[in-house]
Parts: sequence; C-alpha cells; structure tokens
Amino acid sequence: MSDATHPAPVPAVSRPAPRPRWRKLARQNALHLLMAPLALLWLSPLIWILVTSLKTNTEVFDQAAGFLPASPKFSNYPSTLSVAPFGTYLINSVIVTATILACQLVTITLAAYAFARLTFPGKGLLFTLFLLQVMFPIYAIFLTNFVTLREMGLVNTIPAMIVPFVASGYGTFMLRQSFRQVPSELSDAARLDGCGHMAILWHVYLPLVKPTLIAFGIISVVTHWNDYMWPLLVTNSEGIRTLPIGLGLLAKADSGADWPRLMAGTTIVVSPLLILFVIFQRRFIDSFMHTGVK
Amino acid sequence: MKSTISNLTRRRLLASGLAAPFVSAMPGVLTPARANETVKLQFMYPVGVSGDINTIISNMIAEFNATHDGIEVEAIYAGSYDNTEQKVITALGVGEPPALWLPINSSLQTFLGLDALEDITEQAKADDIYDDFIGGFLDTAVSEDRLYGLSFQPSTPVLYYNKDAYAEAGIEKAPETWDELFQAAKALTVRDGDALKRWGLIIGGGWHDWMFEGYCRQNGLVPWEADKVLWDRPESVEALEFWKAMVDAGCMAPASTWQGSANDFMAGSTAMLYHSTGSLTNLRTSSPFEVGVAFMPKRKQFGASQGGGPIMIAKNQSDAKKEASWTFARWMTNTENQAAWSRATGYLAVRKSSWEQPEMVEYLKEVPQAEVAMKQSEFSGAFLQVPAYSRARDTLKSAIDRTLAGEVAPEAALKDATAEVNREIARVMRRRG
Repeated sequence: MSDATHPAPVPAVSRPAPRPRWRKLARQNALHLLMAPLALLWLSPLIWILVTSLKTNTEVFDQAAGFLPASPKFSNYPSTLSVAPFGTYLINSVIVTATILACQLVTITLAAYAFARLTFPGKGLLFTLFLLQVMFPIYAIFLTNFVTLREMGLVNTIPAMIVPFVASGYGTFMLRQSFRQVPSELSDAARLDGCGHMAILWHVYLPLVKPTLIAFGIISVVTHWNDYMWPLLVTNSEGIRTLPIGLGLLAKADSGADWPRLMAGTTIVVSPLLILFVIFQRRFIDSFMHTGVK
Repeated sequence: MKSTISNLTRRRLLASGLAAPFVSAMPGVLTPARANETVKLQFMYPVGVSGDINTIISNMIAEFNATHDGIEVEAIYAGSYDNTEQKVITALGVGEPPALWLPINSSLQTFLGLDALEDITEQAKADDIYDDFIGGFLDTAVSEDRLYGLSFQPSTPVLYYNKDAYAEAGIEKAPETWDELFQAAKALTVRDGDALKRWGLIIGGGWHDWMFEGYCRQNGLVPWEADKVLWDRPESVEALEFWKAMVDAGCMAPASTWQGSANDFMAGSTAMLYHSTGSLTNLRTSSPFEVGVAFMPKRKQFGASQGGGPIMIAKNQSDAKKEASWTFARWMTNTENQAAWSRATGYLAVRKSSWEQPEMVEYLKEVPQAEVAMKQSEFSGAFLQVPAYSRARDTLKSAIDRTLAGEVAPEAALKDATAEVNREIARVMRRRG
C-alpha cells in the first residue's frame, strides 16, 4: 500500500546541515518524495468519504460550497446508525466472511491435494465437474440452493449465508495448479522420511503455496464481504443480516442516494478493516516478502 | 415436517424482536383457544425513497402489532423493487410465500401468471375501498375488473424546475405543452463556447421508459394492452421523435442515470428534471435553490403513468392468514396512516379522505408542490402491466437510448422493440398455458 505508516527515518532537522549531509538526506528520502503524492492519491477517496460524511445534503452538490463543510455535521453519524443496526451487521459480516474463508481453506487444500497428487478412478470426471461449478453464475443456482437450504431448515439463519460457499471450485483449481508446480522430489523425500499425506501437505506443500493461499483469501473475503443478493434472499430478520444490506438502505433509493449518510455509513463500515490492516500491516507484508523470497 | 422445524427456529429469532412485548401480553387478552393461534404474517417490502422509510415502516408495523391482538406481522426489508420481486418469487417457488408483499404495480400480470394473488374484490366492495380510494390509484391493482391489491405508495413523474434559473432566463411559468417545454429548454440551456454549462432538461434515466409512457398518454395512447405493447403506433413514434428533436437541438441530455439526474438537478447542472414525486422531499430539502413542481406538459391531454405499488396478498395460505392479511393491508391504507405516510415520504396518499385531514391541509399550505402530483394523478393510469414486463422495460429503454444516441431512427427502433417484446410476451403466455 502506501508508506503512510512506515516509520520514516528521523529527519535531521535539529542538526546543523552542511551540504553533503543535505544531499545524503535527499538521496535517502527520494523514495519518500515519490511515495508521498502516491499515498495522498490513495488516501484521497477516504478523505473525501470522511469530508462528505460531515456535510449537509445541500452542501454536497452546491458548487459554491467549499471542499470542507461549513460546520461539520456530526449528527450524520447517529442518524445513520438509527437507519439500521450497523453494529450487529458488522459482527454478522465478520462471522460470515471469516467462517467461509476458514472452511474454504480446509476444503480447497484437501481437494486440491487429491487432484494434484493422488490417482483414483474418476479423477478426470470429478475435476471437470469442479470446473463446471466455476462456470455457473451464482444467480443461476439461487433457487436450487434456496430449496436445499430450506430442506435443511437453515433459511433465515447465519449458516444459510455460509453453507453454499464452504467449497470453492475456483479455489480448488487455483491451488491444484500451485501444488503441481511443487517439485515431486520434495514430497518423495518427505515420504522417505516417513511422512503421511497430511504431514506432507502440512510441512511441504502449504508453506510453499502461501502466496496462492493469501491471494485466494483476499478474493474470497472481498467477494463475500460485499455480497448483497444472496444474504438478502435467505435472511429476513434484522438480527442476522450483513453490512451491504444496511448500506443498500441508504444507497438504493429512488430519489438519489443520501450521500452524507451513505458516506457516514461507509466510514463506519470500513474503519474496523482499516484499523485491523494498520495493526497487522507489517505481518501481511512480511508474509508476502517471506514467501516471495523463497 | 421439515418446514415446521425451520419455522420454530425462525419464530424464536423473531420473538426477540418487535413482537416480544405483544406476545407476552397475549394470554390475558384472548380466549385460550386463540391464544395459541396467533396468526403470524410476513410482509416483504422494498425501500424506494430513503433509508428513513425503513424506520417509518417498521414503526407502523410495530404499532399495528401492538394494537391488534392475534396478529403478528414480521417486517422484512427486501431491497429495491427488483430485489423484492426476486425474493417473493423465490419464496413462491418453494411454496412458502410471504403473506403480503409490496411490489411495483407493473408486476401485477407477472404475479397473476404465477397464480399467486388473492382476489380481494369482495372484501373491498364490502368496505369503503371503492368509494374512498382515488380512482387512478385503485386501477393499478385491477385486472379484468377484479382487484388484487391495495395501492400503498403510488407516485407519478412530475416536472421539477429550478426557480432561480427560470428567473434568470425571464421565464415566468412552467411550460404546459410540449412546444412550450421545448422553448423553455432551449432558453434554459447554457453553453460557454462548446462547453455545456447547464442542460435545459434531463429526463431521469433508468426510469425513462416510465416517463416515455407518460408522453404516449399525453399524445392520446396507452401504449400497451393486457397481452401486447403498442409502441409502434404513430402517437408513440411521434413522442420519441420529439425527444430526439430536443436532444438534437442540444437542450436535453441524451442519457442519464436515475440518481445522477437528481444529483445534476441539485447541483444546478440542469434547469428542469423529470423525476418521481417520491423524490420531492429529497429534492426540496437538498437543493440550494427554490424548487418548482409542475404537471408534465401535455400534447393532446395531460397524462402520466403510475409508479409505486400496491400491497398484495398471497393466495397460497390459510384462510385465517388471508383474513389477517386483509386486516393488515386495510390498516396500512386507512385514512390516518395514508395521510401520515404521505407527509413523511412524499408518496401520494391513496384515499380522498386522507387529503382532507387537517394535518394534510396544513402540510399542503406549507408545501404546495405536493398538491401538483395529487392533481396530476387524475390523468394517470397503470404502468406497463404486461407479462414479462421487466424484459419489456429493458427493451424499450435500450430502443430509446439507441435512438437518442443517433444509432437508429425512432420509428425503426420502436418497431423492432415492439416486435421483440410481443414475441416474448406470446412465449411467456404460451408456456403458462
């Protein structure tokens, strides 16, 4: 991302700065000169969201009004929260997205290993079926999924938003390709050392495909975090609904979106993710670097 | 068997919500036999205007539940009109429809095709519905003289105009005819060299087929019948030619989006706007200038199509539920509730008596613009109630867009669209048998 939170070298303002030092400083910080505008570019939508969330409805479209609100209208926030229980929605979104990801990681790892390294009858056919699943748009199977869930008695529960997604044909395919790139000498060596399938998977394969796992994780989280139609279809009670439905209340209006409150809602929604990212930023990037270097 | 299990968990979740105080108060009020038999209804509704409407509807339903022993309504927000229809049709597909829902009135034939709607003509006749509902609003839920819903949140398109821009251009009153509209749009368009500063007119995109039907009606044609569309008639072609002329003259935007057009109006990027009456409150309170509202200008006559929808009752449910559903639909559309709903949202109250309520008279004094839409409803009718209306709308919108973009001539575009949609309607009706 940006270098916004990167601990910048302490600028040597307090010291007397002779010419060579100044030059050295410039050379050391050249990257920062480039990165600062980029960071600003990255941050601008966030700043715009924040500023708009404090405006009045009239100010948003008044070309005579300045970039900043004349007087910040903090009451947009309580008034947004009164539209829908965003706190509950947030918790539900986290539960749904995290559970889906956790289940998917288990299922796709096992399935991909089987498809990549085992031989069993019907393997080719089964794999084709998996690929077919990727090709069906989710909308085409809404009704059949709905019927299945109803028979399981799951309609209008949190699991209803999770169960249809615990397996992923796309993830399986992605991971199978990565597994196949791992040299079989490595797993053969592990087998000679007495490892079973599980141990080989855990000690040899998974560490080597971490970037794929992370890439898949990001795709999965973003997809299910933003999913609107399926949760809307299978849930009825406010207590188990997710964030996009709450934002939909503000955005999908016949009369034009209610911008200040939509932006206030957006701020509420993205803040936890942003804070989490800032806290764990180093770890995220480390894991990328680590696996990349290997 | 399975559904009973699922119902139990669902009810338990529900009970923690709005119904809790009511359920606990029940046994003392009712005879034991009925106390066990609280009729539970699900009501699926879209939110068309703004987030607050969700709160308003929830509060109305909470009040209904508190004042009606033996009935418990669960309010289910279901997204936009399209989302709501999908949700209801999915539920119908598994044979467990909600007791009531609130779709757009164009979907009447779709739901009738699914045999999903309870005929409420007799109840309505025994009640005061036929006397007190404003005729145009009642008609939106009528098919072959039978009534299938109670109009709840009707709207029509109206002409919004920027009074400051009018004063600047020296225009004194809103246009009443197409020709006057054209003149006004020309006078209000502002260009700086080649760069456009302000459009004279924008017709709210996304629903421009709805406005277009209004133009057909103004030209003396209702452009559809129960089993076909009539967009290839001369009246309709003339209407599209008029739009094309305004676009060619550079005073009307060739395309827009629904939300974008409202934003453009508020930002002063267009001086006039065709938009729903449902947007009145938002446009009025969010524009930094004074907003005028007028009838959509006429050609041969005034005319408009109704948007918004009726509350419909499911056919596939027990008689007790049907009776409770009727009680609820009737309550949502009673005089006081309609007056309050109309004031809060900008939708039009469906009952004549609502408009005579003292609070309503007071409101009209404060916001005279609201009355314009009500008066226009006298000239309005139902909107495109044909089977496969959704496909029909998309096809017409695309034909209009392509015409205004200059890709195809108005007559050819409408002829093709008509042929295509009528084929589709015939196909749907054949499949229905």
